[in-house]
Amino acid sequence: MVDSPEQDRVESGDYSDREDADRDGFGPSTVQDDVILELKNLRTYFQTSYGTVKAVDGVSYHVKRGETLGVVGESGSGKSVTALSIMRLIPSPPGYIVGGEVILDGQNVLDLSDNEMAKIRGSKVGMILQDPMTALNPVFNIENQVGEAIRIHQNLKGQSLVDKIIHSLRQVRIPAAESRMKDFPHQLSGGMRQRVVGAISISCAPIVLIADEPTTALDVTIQAGYLRLLKEIQAETGVGIIFITHDFGIVAKMCDRVAVMYAGRIVETGDVRQIFNEPSHPYSEALLASVPKLEERTQRLYSIEGQPPPLFDLPPGCPFAPRCEYAQDVCRDVYPVRSEIDENHTASCWKLLDFDISKADPEELAAAQSVSVTAVAEEQLQEAEAVAD
Amino acid sequence: MTTIQEQIQQKEGIRPLDVNAEIILETRGLAKHFELAGGFLGFGNKPTLKAVDGIDVIVRAGETVGLVGESGCGKSTTAKLLLGLEKPTAGQIFFKGEDFTKMSRAAKRDYRKNVQAVFQDPWSSLNPRMRVKSIVAEPLQIVTKMTKGEIGTRVSEVLEEVGLNAYQANLYPHEFSGGQRQRIGVARALALNPEVMILDEPVSALDVSIRAQILNLLVDLQKEHNLAYLMIAHNLATVRYMCHTTAVMYLGGIKEIGDSEPIFSNPLHPYTQALISAALPSHPDIEREEIILPGEVPSPVDPPSGCTFNPRCPVKIGDVCEQWAPGLTEEETSHWVSCHLYGDAKERFDAGEAIPAAAVEDDA
Repeated sequence: MVDSPEQDRVESGDYSDREDADRDGFGPSTVQDDVILELKNLRTYFQTSYGTVKAVDGVSYHVKRGETLGVVGESGSGKSVTALSIMRLIPSPPGYIVGGEVILDGQNVLDLSDNEMAKIRGSKVGMILQDPMTALNPVFNIENQVGEAIRIHQNLKGQSLVDKIIHSLRQVRIPAAESRMKDFPHQLSGGMRQRVVGAISISCAPIVLIADEPTTALDVTIQAGYLRLLKEIQAETGVGIIFITHDFGIVAKMCDRVAVMYAGRIVETGDVRQIFNEPSHPYSEALLASVPKLEERTQRLYSIEGQPPPLFDLPPGCPFAPRCEYAQDVCRDVYPVRSEIDENHTASCWKLLDFDISKADPEELAAAQSVSVTAVAEEQLQEAEAVAD
Repeated sequence: MTTIQEQIQQKEGIRPLDVNAEIILETRGLAKHFELAGGFLGFGNKPTLKAVDGIDVIVRAGETVGLVGESGCGKSTTAKLLLGLEKPTAGQIFFKGEDFTKMSRAAKRDYRKNVQAVFQDPWSSLNPRMRVKSIVAEPLQIVTKMTKGEIGTRVSEVLEEVGLNAYQANLYPHEFSGGQRQRIGVARALALNPEVMILDEPVSALDVSIRAQILNLLVDLQKEHNLAYLMIAHNLATVRYMCHTTAVMYLGGIKEIGDSEPIFSNPLHPYTQALISAALPSHPDIEREEIILPGEVPSPVDPPSGCTFNPRCPVKIGDVCEQWAPGLTEEETSHWVSCHLYGDAKERFDAGEAIPAAAVEDDA
């Protein structure tokens, strides 16, 4: 429980004396300098009967070794589609990756053949999904399911395979791994099942782990244990984690950096403290003001009126403008350019340029608009369709 | 241009609790035990699952009582009991002083009219084949003797109150987003002008940006109609925002109950302390020492003797915890806790005193 100086800090909002490395209670920061995954201007569109759904529309972010990047946004903001695009798991048709690059360990995975990609999935990139009950197959035991990836990617058999399975299960702190691995998913509790999913995803020592809301289905105390476990695995292996969530609490606890997504684009990105102390995009600010706090009683929450726009019919300007407290005419007409607020901290909002188009760098402005003009993307999409036919 | 911060400050949150307000709903020793299949060829003792095992809660007009706890603690069964969807094994429910179990059929009907529910999942709680106006009108048709015209007026009235447009009454649920569906759910509950609403995780299935809309709507409706809420939630921060009173449940029993403020700022029960320590922080620099509970929640079929929390308790004080079930005692003003850390149970136990009558399990 919070002690009294902590309470003071909560009340005053002053955390300036707490710039120490051990701020999340998980030990010193594990972030290293080398970038292991970089997305450049990634675009994933879906062809539907309503029109082209721009689920991911020019997303760029990177993850360093040992770093946790939080991707925050509500359903339909494109955070999960971005993750699936990294894994190249977009069902096609109707989905197409129409542009951009996904550079994993120095290699653009979008250039790989399907066979080459299959070798990367589960070995270089692991994934933990939201619901462990659907991620596990009910008719195979744990040994079989954890062993599958190891067998395929590392060609192990017999005792060495079993040893590796036990090792993976121990890594996720499953007690009595030797006997538990004979169990079937229904014999395990929710938290244990999610640990098994974790064991599968880290069994081949991935360099990047994509965690897509892994704790939403878990109880509070089980969730806390699972998050701690992920941090411990990160400290042991230096894996870079992309944590997809809609919960700012998880971001506060787990993440080093944050990317806030809205309607298929990143609207703000920065170090976790920059986002919490100085949210610069109105959407980030509104989201933070709409979440109740546990440490003090929130007098009144801010409620963001309306709902996200449909992705097949995006307004020409900023997609958040209709719900935005600060929106002006320019916001509704022209997509805002990205402005730098601080080192590593950028946001795309006209407010930061005093709603003055002339203050924007013309090149950046054109680049931001081209996303909605989409001549190139349109062409690529048609090409992709032709190939699919 | 008003900033978001200014916007928030212009509006008020929940109204402070009026302790002299009328008690609308009260439970005394409410319990629900489910008999499970088992025993030998259907003979012998069948195991019983004690989903709810003797809880006392009071809800006053204009008050929100929050029930928190992890899955399996009995909070949803409590809601079902209060809605009359399950028959209690023991204990009573009082509505404005009248015992529900002894009510006549007509009085029970009146009770059901006055105790309405908002459910967790607005995707499964609205009939996809009915138009919104029929969904909201249904309780009015069943319970009241209103004419068609009166029902129509009442429907548009409540839809407006929850922030929906009149033309939307002709649409089907699938044409709405999650937040709007939950508004329809609130409108249906509100249609009969109830005195109590049971809110079963009303926002946990909604998107983050929508949750505050619904929570604020509920806060405003409460002030408008002086409604009593019993809210079930697992998110502690939501409970702190919404609830005047908080009850922490574990394995079918209340471990700590009282005014929300002391419970969150100074939790007394080791389980509440662990629960709060495990909750997510609202800022990256907030560091809480996490209390890690060993093991998992035991099965409610064969709950531990004494204090049900004793096998996982990090501060267990001795055999007294395994043998004497602690009762709720008022440690601070309006703050009750069920734990032997407080009071003199340990001394009395060590002195060899017999088990106090209150703690004897009745296996009848």
